[in-house]
Order: sequence, then structure tokens, then C-alpha cells
Amino acid sequence: MELFECSAADLARAVREGAHSVAEIVEVHLGRMDRLEPVLSAIVTPLKDEARARAAALDIALARGENPGPLTGVPVIVKDNFCTRRIRTTCSSRMLENWIPPYDATVVSYLERAGAVLIGKANMDEFAMGSSTEHSAFFTTSNPWDPSRVPGGSSGGSAASCAAGYAPLTFGSDTGGSIRQPAAFCGIYGFKPTYGMVSRYGVVPFASSLDQIGPFARTLEDLLLAMEVIAEADEKDATCSRALRPDFRKALDVTDLKGKRVGLVREFEGYDIDGPIVDALARARAALLDAGATVVDVSLPTVSHGLACYYIIAPAEASSNLARFDGVRYGLSAEADSLIDLYHRTRKAGFGPEVKRRLLTGTYVLSSGYYDAYYNKALKVVAILRDEFARAFGEADVILAPTTPTLPFRKGENIGDPIKMYMSDLFTLPANMAGLPALSLNGGYSDGLPVGIQLIGPRWGEMEIFSAAAVLEKALGAPRLAGGDL
Amino acid sequence: MALTFQTVIGLEIHVQLATKSKLFCACSTDYIGARPNSNVCPVCLGQPGSLPVVNGRAVELAVMVGLALGSTVQQATRFHRKNYFYPDLSKDYQISQYDLPICAGGRLSFRDDDGVEVSVAITRAHLEEDAGKLVHPSADGRLAGARYSLVDYNRSGVPLLEIVSEPDITSPAHARRYTEEIRRLVRCLGVSDGDMESGSLRVDANISQKVSDGRWGSRVEIKNMNSLRSLERALEYEVKRQRKVLGEGGEIRQETRHWDDGEGKTRPMRGKEEAHDYRYFPDPDLPPLIVESDRLKGIAAVMPELPWQAESRLVSAYGLSDDDAKIFAESADTVAYLDGCIRAGADPKRAANWIRTEVLRVLNEQKIDLATFTLEASDLASLLALVDGGKLSTTAAKDVFDVMVRDGVALEPAMTASGVTAGLVEGSQLEDIADKILAENEEAVEAVRSGRDPKGKKVKFLQGLIMRETRGQADVAQVEDLLRRRLI
Repeated sequence: MELFECSAADLARAVREGAHSVAEIVEVHLGRMDRLEPVLSAIVTPLKDEARARAAALDIALARGENPGPLTGVPVIVKDNFCTRRIRTTCSSRMLENWIPPYDATVVSYLERAGAVLIGKANMDEFAMGSSTEHSAFFTTSNPWDPSRVPGGSSGGSAASCAAGYAPLTFGSDTGGSIRQPAAFCGIYGFKPTYGMVSRYGVVPFASSLDQIGPFARTLEDLLLAMEVIAEADEKDATCSRALRPDFRKALDVTDLKGKRVGLVREFEGYDIDGPIVDALARARAALLDAGATVVDVSLPTVSHGLACYYIIAPAEASSNLARFDGVRYGLSAEADSLIDLYHRTRKAGFGPEVKRRLLTGTYVLSSGYYDAYYNKALKVVAILRDEFARAFGEADVILAPTTPTLPFRKGENIGDPIKMYMSDLFTLPANMAGLPALSLNGGYSDGLPVGIQLIGPRWGEMEIFSAAAVLEKALGAPRLAGGDL
Repeated sequence: MALTFQTVIGLEIHVQLATKSKLFCACSTDYIGARPNSNVCPVCLGQPGSLPVVNGRAVELAVMVGLALGSTVQQATRFHRKNYFYPDLSKDYQISQYDLPICAGGRLSFRDDDGVEVSVAITRAHLEEDAGKLVHPSADGRLAGARYSLVDYNRSGVPLLEIVSEPDITSPAHARRYTEEIRRLVRCLGVSDGDMESGSLRVDANISQKVSDGRWGSRVEIKNMNSLRSLERALEYEVKRQRKVLGEGGEIRQETRHWDDGEGKTRPMRGKEEAHDYRYFPDPDLPPLIVESDRLKGIAAVMPELPWQAESRLVSAYGLSDDDAKIFAESADTVAYLDGCIRAGADPKRAANWIRTEVLRVLNEQKIDLATFTLEASDLASLLALVDGGKLSTTAAKDVFDVMVRDGVALEPAMTASGVTAGLVEGSQLEDIADKILAENEEAVEAVRSGRDPKGKKVKFLQGLIMRETRGQADVAQVEDLLRRRLI
């Protein structure tokens, strides 16, 4: 078994036991990245020198008998909207192409504290707006299962690089499905925690009330290990909970789901869903029943309005969050004759078409005279949706749903049709609007493409999801490494 | 029939809250004289990804003002984003409050210059962050003529409390009085230094005229009034201007005007005419701000005495004059110092007199405040006790006071150092001094003895010398008696 095939847990163990040096592990993963990157284009900024220096420092610390943390020696990759001190953070945008943050995102510092080695920063849709990485200002990432297809987005680079073995753990942000949809397209785990579980400090926001940070992994154990490292209180994020987090890895011991109720959302049945996804859901349902769970129908009558409301709230917040890119303080600054000219030229040159589309939408829905008709109404719908979820979780402990309506689509297939592109978030964005935890996991393969399915839990109900996932991993197997034939 | 006019004024006062750190980050608020962009961090610079966290102290200070004004302190309040582009605004939105200000309603009452009771309703008081400062490197520091501008974000994120009055104010003089009262309040509460010149207290005025023929002039906003005097002058100018226009049948344009203190005129601000759409919406980075009942009670319990409460207490309990009471009530520290003196046994009026003339003089000279003043109230009280007991003359006491302040020592050592002993200089001690003075002034003595001092001028002169030598510690009658005996 090659080192790049190993799980993070195995690598950390090997380092602890002295079986492999961190330098060796890092070198193998950088080699894997070098070999596949010409095909995949998952990385905006590889951090080879930084990673080697860090590996050497960790090896010295280990030789002194120190144990820097639970992820010691584990290579990790973060989405390029995570601020990294002294390392450029582009958000895959021309606007920030050369921006070097003066500080680390909280999650980055937690990873560092745990001993992880950052080996690269992953491609994404510009400012996390998109579902394919085709809206990256730099290049489109390829799906490691079929390079003619997209890896999903917006955290497509993180998903593809984890699936292909650049690193066993990678990280992304999820505003409407930006972790789960690419996880499904790349055949790995991708988890969006409960809103407030993980600090958002230092992750360049898309829509602050919906964004949440989460991990990608190829084993459930790795996913939970990552959660234990990043799910910590943070006084720099007022929306991050101060409560103690559960011992996530306890879920690995779960073997049966007696007394647990698995909900199926009645309203999701009516949508056009690809056959292999329907089959994967049936297999998962059978496995959960086998483990002793019961299956119940739950109803979310308002969920069909979710997409419309999401595309009001998220752009509204984005229009304000991205206002600061004005050419005055950082990032792109266009040559201009006047202040207003500076604003116009900078933003015209710095933002791509999808970002502009959403900023225009968001500015419009917040304008006086339209606020009540759009933004305020959308907030009311969200409140109703939250109530409906709360009621559903009175009847079910966890919800089983598709992650996406389709298997990974081909590059270019949806790029000219924003509505069709937006549709790929249909099943993921309700969890963001209700602030719920949700996991995409691999439910099998169809013609060489992975098939993702989703588990949604109640607020702070991470353990319900992870318990069901533990049962499913035992029954359906862990994800396979992608890119074997590349 | 000649037209008559009624002036209608509402004030928006921005009070810079005296917190150590900014409203949403840990940076220092001490920006005056600081190197540009030295008190900054990712949060107040609006760096991508940074997030605000509310400063609890700023909330407490806002609550104190609300309680003092009789506002409803809203226990569940929230912050909104006010979106507009400007280089001094590091995020291109300002975090402010909109539909749920922390303080709603309230009232401020005061006497005007003629002693008439005036009452102004408060609309609201809300928390918001200050912006940075633009620096224009043109010769006169103005935007016009500058080739580029610099931004200093040291002030970015400093907490402000915006206190908005109802349009209840009917004259420029009342506007000035209202502002004085707000300033006195925030100073007394320790909520702000209330300094208008340095911008800790900024007043914008909305002013309009109601005409006796039923017309209403449009509302005009006046900015850039950096002192109480310029506030009153600007409003007086504006009253005249608006009445003239309306009197000639013209219309007042609704606009923002800039007060030019040098010219003594208001003039329209250029480029600020277009109506802004601030696209307010609740800031998703900040959860609703809950002020729990216990916390509210805790703040109420430690509220200092309000200036108007202190003022009436000083008059009724200590018998101070209205004017003296007003001077003391200007600052909670001064009131506390006076209370301390009196608690330690000093006579109220004497203590008030000494504090007003001596203590405040020293504070002024040394440019310090009572917090750093070394002389404890109880020390001053012991000194005054000696004066009251006739053991120390006022002159001697002032010498001792100066030593106590200068050397930071207690009463006893200060007396030794200034060569003063408690009690009258009398008997043989006084006789020795008198003999010494007479010996040193033979000419005068001779003049008196030979009858060349018909008006008693020389006697008075000698008497003065003796009193000076005893530092006023001798009884004048005794000295006169002694001299009479010696000079026969």
C-alpha cells in the first residue's frame, strides 16, 4: 500500500510509532500531487517548500520526544478562501490573485496546532459561487473519476485532491452544498457541520448566515478525527458556539441503530433524480434497516421554495460581504482618475461574471422598496422551513436524502445555464438555511462514477449522522481512492 | 399681517464611548497622536474573513446612558449593516443599529439660560462603529486640490453612541443647553470625555421653520459644528437664513449644509445631494445582542449619581449655592471628592470653597484630573479641621496645602516642612517674634515713638510683618496689643 492511499489516522499512527518520518509522508503526497496535477488542476498554490520545512521541523520535534498533536505529519489541503498568513489567498479570483493575508484563519491555526502539514491551497469557484469550479478565474478542476467531468463545487479542488490522494484530509466551506456536492461528485465524505460548530474566522465569507467550514475524507474515522481538531469554540467568531463538542469518534463504535428512525422526505420524491442515485439510496435504506433502524416519512412542505429563497439570501449577504473589494486597501486596485472610477474599474476587472451576477441580484433584493418583497420574505420562508425541519426531527433522528439530483456533469454542460447549475444545490441548501449538519457519503459507483447520498441531522445532532454513517461504512464500504488509471 | 416663525430643531449627538478597546475588536481606542494605522487589526481594517465580536463594556456604557435618560433599554437588540462605499469605511459598510436600538425613548430636562424648565424627548440611542479618517495632503488639508488622499484607520471601529432627539428644541440657545446637558451627563457617567473640539462629541442638527401662514420649511441638516459656540452660531445663522427665504416667499431646499466657523456661514455640501440607499439588513456575523435582566440590574446598581441629582443634593444637603452646585455636578469625581471631604468631617461650604479655588486650580495648572491628584479628600478634611478649629490661619493652611500637593506628603510632615505649627503663636513666642521685627525696623519704630505716624501706617506695617512672620498664626488683637505696649 502506498502512503498516499493511507488514511490520516494511519499516517498519524505511523508517525507516532516512528515507522515513517513526516518528511517521507509529505514527499510522497507532493509526488502524488505532481503526478496528477497536470490532469486534475485542483491546486491554486502548492506549498512544497513550506510543507518540507514544516515536515523537517516536525521530525525534529518528534525526535525530541514531543507529540505535537493528533494530526502530526498528516498532509492537508485547504480551500483557497481560508486565510493563510504569508501565503496568498485568492478565493480563485483575479481580485485577490496576489493578496497575502496578515493572519491565519482559526481553522488553519487549529490544524497547525494539531500537527498537520499544509501542502496546498485548493481551487474553487470564485468566492465560492458555483457548483463546478468552472467559475474559478484561473482554471477548471477535473473530476478524478473522469477528467471530462467537473468535480463539483465550489470546493471542487478540495474534493478532487482528497479523492485522488494528494492528502487524506482536505477542507472546504459550504454555503449551499459547496462541500457535499463535490464530495458526492468525487466519491468521498464531505461534511457540513451545524451552523456555529466550527469557527468561520478567517474564511473569506460568501453568505455569513449560511457558510460553515467542514472536512473532506476518505474514511469516516478520518472525518471524525478532523472534526475533533476543527470543531472548537473560538472567541473571534460570535456565531461559533461556546458549548463543549461531543466525542465524535465514539460514533465509530456504533454497530446497530435499534430504536433510531430514519426519515425520508416526501417532497424530495417528486424530483427527477438520476437512477443510480435512487438505487444507492435504496441500498443505504436497506443497510440502515438491517442495522435495526426504522424508516419513516417526514414532510417539509416549504422545501420547494428553498432554492428561490437561497438565491435571495445568499446574494444579499454576498453583496455586502464583497463590497470591501474596492481597490483601496488590498487586492486588485485599478488605475483610475477618481474615487468612483477606482471602484468601477477595480470591480469590473476583479470579479468574474458569476460573482457579478450574484452581487447585482443581492444589491437589488436589499434595495429600499424591494427589501420586504424579497429579502424579508425569504427570511420568513426560512423561518418556516426551520420549523418544518424541527417537526420532522421530532419524528426522525436522521434524514436520508440524495446529495445531488445528478451524477457529475460534463465540463461546459451547465455553464451557460445558471438555473440548471443552481439546481444541483437543490437537496443540499435546505440544511444551510436551517443551520443543520449534513454529510455526503459515497453510496456506490455507476459506470465508474461515484454516487453520493446525504444524511441530514437535527441542530447539534452530529452524532446521529455519524452513527448512521458508521453503519453505512461497514455495510457499503469506505470510498475508493480515485485517479488510479490517470 | 407680518409673518411669524417657529424654529424646530432636532439633534443627533454622536458620543465616543470611553472604552479601552474598539467596538468589535481588541485594538486600542487611543488614536489621538498615534502613528497612522498603528491601532489596527484584521477586524477594524476589514480584512477579508475577519469577524466582529461586540465589546461588552461599550454595551454597558450605552445602557448607562439609556438608564440616565429614562429610555427603555431593549434587552433583545441587534446590529444592522449600513452599506455605502467610502474609503474611510474599511468594510464598505458600517455596523450600526436600525430597527432595534439598544435604548428607545427617554427624556432630558434642563433649565434654560432664563431659568425656565425645558424638556426634550429622546427618540433613541444606538451603538455604532466610527469610521477611519481621510487625510488630504493639499495645502489647506481639504479634499479640493489634493492629488491623492490617505486613510488612517486608527479610529475605525471606535464605539459611538448616537443619541437622537425628537424635534422638540425651539431655539439655538436651547440646542446649546441640551448639548451641554448631554455632555455633562456622559462626563458624569464616565461614558465619554465629551470633548467637542477633539471630536468625542459630535453634533448634527436638523433645523426647519414653521411659518404662521401654515407653511413648513424643509428640514436642513447642519454639520461641522465643533464647539458649543459654533453650534449656537450656526443655528442662529440658519434661523435667519431660513426666515429670510421663507419671508420672501421662497422655498427651503432640503439639503445638508456645512458650517464654516471662520466665515460664520452655512453652505451646501457638494456631492452629498443624492439620496443614499443604505440597504440596511441585520448583520449575520453578530447574533442578537441580549442584555440579561441580571446584567441590567447590575448596571443599574452601580449607576453613579446623575448630574441633576447631584446638583439638587448639593444644594439641599450642603447648602451650596446653585452656581457652586452646578460647577461641582459637572464631574462625578469632583462631587465624590467633596463628599469625601465632608464625610471626613469638613464643613461643607468651606470644603466646597477650597475645592473650587485650590484643588481645581492645581488640577488646571498641572493638567491632571482627580484620579491622579495625590491629595486624598480625607487629608484635605484634616487640614480644614485645623482651620475651623482656629489652629491654622487660612494663609498658613494654603502654604501647608501647597506642600502637601507638591511633595505628596501627609498633613504633619507638610506642616513641619513649611515651618508651621498648629495653634496660635502667642505668649513669649509671639513676644520674641515682635522683638525681632522691631529690632529689624528701627526707623519705623523710631517714627512711631516720636509721634511721626499720625495715621498709624507704620504700626500697620509692623503688624503686617509680624503676621507674616507667624504665617498668620497670631491673633490680630494680641499683636495690636503687644505693639501698643512695646511702642509707647
